[in-house]
Amino acid sequence: MRTAAALLMLAVGVWQLSDGLWIQAKARLAQVLIAQAWSRTLKGEAQAKPWPWADTWPVARLSVPRLGVERYVLAGSQGATLAFGPGHVSSTPLPGAAGNSMIGGHRDTHLAFLGQLDPGDEIRVELADRRRLSYRVGETHVLHRSEMWIAHQDGPARLTLVTCWPLDAWRAGGDQRFAVVAFRSRELL
Amino acid sequence: MLLGLALATPAYSTEGGLVLRAEGRQAVVAPLVSTDVSIRVAGPVARARVVQTFRNPESDWYEGIYVFPLPESGAVDRLRLRVGERIIEGEIKERGAARAAYGEARASGRRAALLDQERPNIFTTQVANIGPGEAVVVELEYQQVLRYDGGRFSLRFPMVVGPRYVPPGPILVADAARITPPVLRPGTENGRTNPLSIRVSLDAGVPLAAVESPYHPVRVDEPSPERREISLAEGAVPANRDFELAWAPRIHEAPQAAWFTEEKDGRHYGVLMVLPPAATPGTRLAREVVFVLDTSGSMAGASIRQAREALLLALERLQPEDRFEVIEFNSTAQALFGESREASRGNVRRAVRWVASLEARGGTEMAAALRMAFTNTETSTRVRQVIFLTDGAVGNEEALFRLLRERLGDSRLFTVGIGSAPNSHFMTQAARLGRGTFTYIGRIEEVGARMGELFAKLESPVLKGLELRWPPGVQVEAWPAKLPDLYAGEPVVVAAALGGLEGEALLTGERDGRRWEARIALERNATAQGMGGLWAREKVSALMASLRDGAPEAEVRARVIEVATAHRLVTKYTSFVAVDKTPARPIDESLKTAAVPTLLPEGWVYDKVFGELPQGSTGSRFALALGLAALLLAGGLFRNRI
Repeated sequence: MRTAAALLMLAVGVWQLSDGLWIQAKARLAQVLIAQAWSRTLKGEAQAKPWPWADTWPVARLSVPRLGVERYVLAGSQGATLAFGPGHVSSTPLPGAAGNSMIGGHRDTHLAFLGQLDPGDEIRVELADRRRLSYRVGETHVLHRSEMWIAHQDGPARLTLVTCWPLDAWRAGGDQRFAVVAFRSRELL
Repeated sequence: MLLGLALATPAYSTEGGLVLRAEGRQAVVAPLVSTDVSIRVAGPVARARVVQTFRNPESDWYEGIYVFPLPESGAVDRLRLRVGERIIEGEIKERGAARAAYGEARASGRRAALLDQERPNIFTTQVANIGPGEAVVVELEYQQVLRYDGGRFSLRFPMVVGPRYVPPGPILVADAARITPPVLRPGTENGRTNPLSIRVSLDAGVPLAAVESPYHPVRVDEPSPERREISLAEGAVPANRDFELAWAPRIHEAPQAAWFTEEKDGRHYGVLMVLPPAATPGTRLAREVVFVLDTSGSMAGASIRQAREALLLALERLQPEDRFEVIEFNSTAQALFGESREASRGNVRRAVRWVASLEARGGTEMAAALRMAFTNTETSTRVRQVIFLTDGAVGNEEALFRLLRERLGDSRLFTVGIGSAPNSHFMTQAARLGRGTFTYIGRIEEVGARMGELFAKLESPVLKGLELRWPPGVQVEAWPAKLPDLYAGEPVVVAAALGGLEGEALLTGERDGRRWEARIALERNATAQGMGGLWAREKVSALMASLRDGAPEAEVRARVIEVATAHRLVTKYTSFVAVDKTPARPIDESLKTAAVPTLLPEGWVYDKVFGELPQGSTGSRFALALGLAALLLAGGLFRNRI
């Protein structure tokens, strides 16, 4: 009886652990493949797919020099895309254009670093046309998931990075979101 | 800051559908609007009076802006402004001139009302200088020819303009802001339901069989076999879904032809309705059917269930000799097969499974779907029918109509308007341009009956080549200039202006190789009011359609303004304005402007329409923690055993 329980627990443990590790591994591995697609993008390939059956492609490279963070932003923000990298909400302008570019990502993988950002921190963005832009973290908000006003387009050029809130929650989902707004400061030469 | 009150103004799209404009979290401060509608029906014609009461609960002076729908075929020919006991009659003016007159009155503190048309079925009332605690009343009237189809008359009164999707990117829809009023999140109405009451006084002229209101409980009184008095059982209802009233004459009592006339300024105006005899079923032709299903965010909830059910019924109806394809669209369009395939049991089963799995979310990129449906690669002898299930919640109707006009070819388009507040302008115009018909489904219980009627139309021979010849020597200007093909159960409807009433008109057509004709004596047998307005409305609609064929806008505009001014009609280029003589607002007090928020149409899902922020978490942490805990526990159990 006890052996059966122990074996069951062992099975559950292995299953859950591998599940969790698989999500984390996929998130990291994908970024490596996307990095290669990005270098093809910089050489002029349009919509360079990181793997042949991908339905997304990198649209920007994001880095935070102070934290040593580097992330490739994918086109689209559906759940399937966000497993591989932060995703650009496709109907907001791309970074580099005027207005408000929204990027979503997971708090426990690619956008975990949002919690370590301080006001004034620099976020760098490299675009497909090789331009490099600098943004400064301005404000942060805790929002309900329906508060789309954060996506409004009026006002200065900026990035809005969105992830789930609270940042250290155990379970997935929830109704709250955390948004970091970074304003464009200059173009890097 | 007031939490829990969300005010959304859709402005552009995201993956979630529409996005709100900048307001953020704030309380709603705007005049309250309640509406009372009374409609008199005489035979196939309805005349309606719509009374909008703007109440200002605030302690400041307000201007209220209310965006609301009216039937797309209505001829709006009267506006009155009522302040206490005084009544100010509105004047029809060119849109810019009306706006200027209104603006001047507004600035000088006088009460004024302005009525603009944004789409044939979307209007805006603006009322300036409503004093603190005061109420100002705007009355408008319209006339329309009712729909007669399959032996039933139906009257539709829309109550709310559903949030419209406007494609992002370069400005394609210049007036997007004027057709997207703020929408209240369900649960935060706080008494702001824009209550609406309706009374219908129905005189069918012939004994009636049944009268039904499928979406609202009604009280029906029966003063005589031909007449009914109908009112909403609950008095007033929230303005969140279309009202429909349908009735049928008793069998064998239905008139085969009706001719109503009115004499005005030496000219006779007439509306003619002729019902061809029922079609005898012909030989069934093999068809190629393309189903297009709207799976955008506005379809989420009740609508997608109705649409899916309707589509599944239609799939079951296919015969092995038919070919078919299914396309779904939201932010992008996707085809099931990539090209039409034979309707084998396997293919149909595959389609049924696919359709059952579709969910509604995202934008409404209808152009992509239309392009896919009308590629017309296959040239065959098959009849090609496109069946389009949608709520039509888009703001770029004109662009879509142009696309349709270019690509239609030999295909036919049948629109099926889904849900509680379909865009009737889109449904009827698209079907007209597509040389098909339109159908409405507003409840899941109606799917079977309405689709059954549509199948009858799709499968019965069409009455083609219709021509109406007027008696020689009589000056006639009739609209529509070219009569459309008729499907089973549809009547011929023509509005004409005539120099004299004499002789008879000859209507001819051909169905299934057989000639059909009808003669109509042009006598003054039933006089009615407002026929001139109906004729003018048809003429305006034909002129507006000519823009799509490349007619120069300046010329069309001038001709529309001419006919609209003569018949006092609100059009895209002419508006009603009513201005009070005496100033009301002291010049040292300021005037605030507010848009009256509207309700979300019943059955719609707010978050699917307006989108939500991306979800930013995975289950990895929980899985890791659970996995570790289970392993520890297992380890403990094993050790204890030893």
